[in-house]
Amino acid sequence: MLITLEKLTKRFGATTAVDGLDLEVRPGRVTGFLGPNGAGKSTTLRMILDLDRPTSGRALLGGRPYSSYALPLRKVGAVLEAKAAHPGRTGRNHLLAMARSNAIAPARVDEVLELVGLSKNARKRTGTYSLGMGQRLGIAGALLGDPPVLILDEPVNGLDPDGVRWIRGLMRDLAAEGRTVLVSSHLLSEMQMTADHLIVIGHGRLLADAPLDEILSGHASLEDAYYTLTEGTALR
Amino acid sequence: MTMLRATIGAEWIKLWTTRTVWWALTAALVLMAAGAGQYALYAENGDIDQTGAGEIAVLGLSFAQLAFLALATIVMTSEYSTGTMRATLTWTPVRSRLLLAKSAVIAGVTLVAGTVAGFVGVAVAAPILGNSSMGAVAPKMGLYLALLGVFAVGLGAALRGPVVSLVVLLMLVVVVPPLLQVPDLAVLNTIADALPGVAGQRFLLENSYGGLVIVAAWATAAFLIGARVLRRRDA
Repeated sequence: MLITLEKLTKRFGATTAVDGLDLEVRPGRVTGFLGPNGAGKSTTLRMILDLDRPTSGRALLGGRPYSSYALPLRKVGAVLEAKAAHPGRTGRNHLLAMARSNAIAPARVDEVLELVGLSKNARKRTGTYSLGMGQRLGIAGALLGDPPVLILDEPVNGLDPDGVRWIRGLMRDLAAEGRTVLVSSHLLSEMQMTADHLIVIGHGRLLADAPLDEILSGHASLEDAYYTLTEGTALR
Repeated sequence: MTMLRATIGAEWIKLWTTRTVWWALTAALVLMAAGAGQYALYAENGDIDQTGAGEIAVLGLSFAQLAFLALATIVMTSEYSTGTMRATLTWTPVRSRLLLAKSAVIAGVTLVAGTVAGFVGVAVAAPILGNSSMGAVAPKMGLYLALLGVFAVGLGAALRGPVVSLVVLLMLVVVVPPLLQVPDLAVLNTIADALPGVAGQRFLLENSYGGLVIVAAWATAAFLIGARVLRRRDA
């Protein structure tokens, strides 16, 4: 399933956070979404999920807006923040409510808890979770509806090296299954190891949309390539 | 309809899986028992005009309703204060359906718990006053609290902050009416009559269906404003 941005623009007062993004995110590969802090990555992801309203343009999933899907968790799994669950609720109850909202069988909750390695802590309140456990719970939620599209905002934040390796493998596997995987990150070495394709933005504008190899060519590392691309676009 | 059922189901699970609801309902019942007991003793001493156990329970409700108001407000505003609103809206992107589900869950719970609280108030007051009441007022309290619950949820959706929502709610229901009622000015008294707490009292004590309609109008208005804010503002 394609993610399509059509002249997607978001202004907050006088500031333009996202400036006419026109691009497609394709299935079957991991697409890295890169840019300095404040470049508009999170705002773009929120507009794809119909959380923020674009000032103009639109974001579509499989040709339709996110909110037009009756059971959106079966189309898109998203991890936006590590701690997106009520701290007083257990991880399992959080997922049970989430499953109920999209008519997903409760048995699937225990499957995804097992999949992300959170079964032992599932009955603890999420307020007691470490950042890494919070990320795992978020990923469990994203996988709940077995969706063809995954959108992950900084998923390796707070994960230990094992966790980082696990999520890298998971993203590659999900893409290999033919899913669309869009992952934002500021960890360049991590992206170099995970992504097949890169989208780089700065000041809300598209700086590059190309396969990893192409962006890397002529540079010692992704870090070099990235600084060449984003030079002068970081927030001052 | 199927989708609304799923959303209500999710909100139902969410309500009962944090401790807030238990604290609030326990507080409501304790406040009702204590309030009704205290007013029954005043009545027994001839300090106040009311003498029926049902009327005494309505006086007790002025304390107990605070716990219900807090619960209904928190159900909506905690989504913002704990940062879960964005996740909730990815599960249910249709804003009006989400607000309808939250309102339905709160209305259902406050209807039942409010009726129970009404019976508790009557059961405490009746033996002290030595009169037997069937507690006919109890289901009416449930109905009043259910509408007040929808009002609070809508207000929470419009204002988002737990503190500001509770302050506005308490102003409208508890604080402002007596201030308007004290001076003997027809205009101020009429305004007070149109506020939800006073209208609710008239419904409960005088069987005024006009009072019930006023509370329902407040609930409807808050729901519509809350739905509009949810649709238009970024999450």
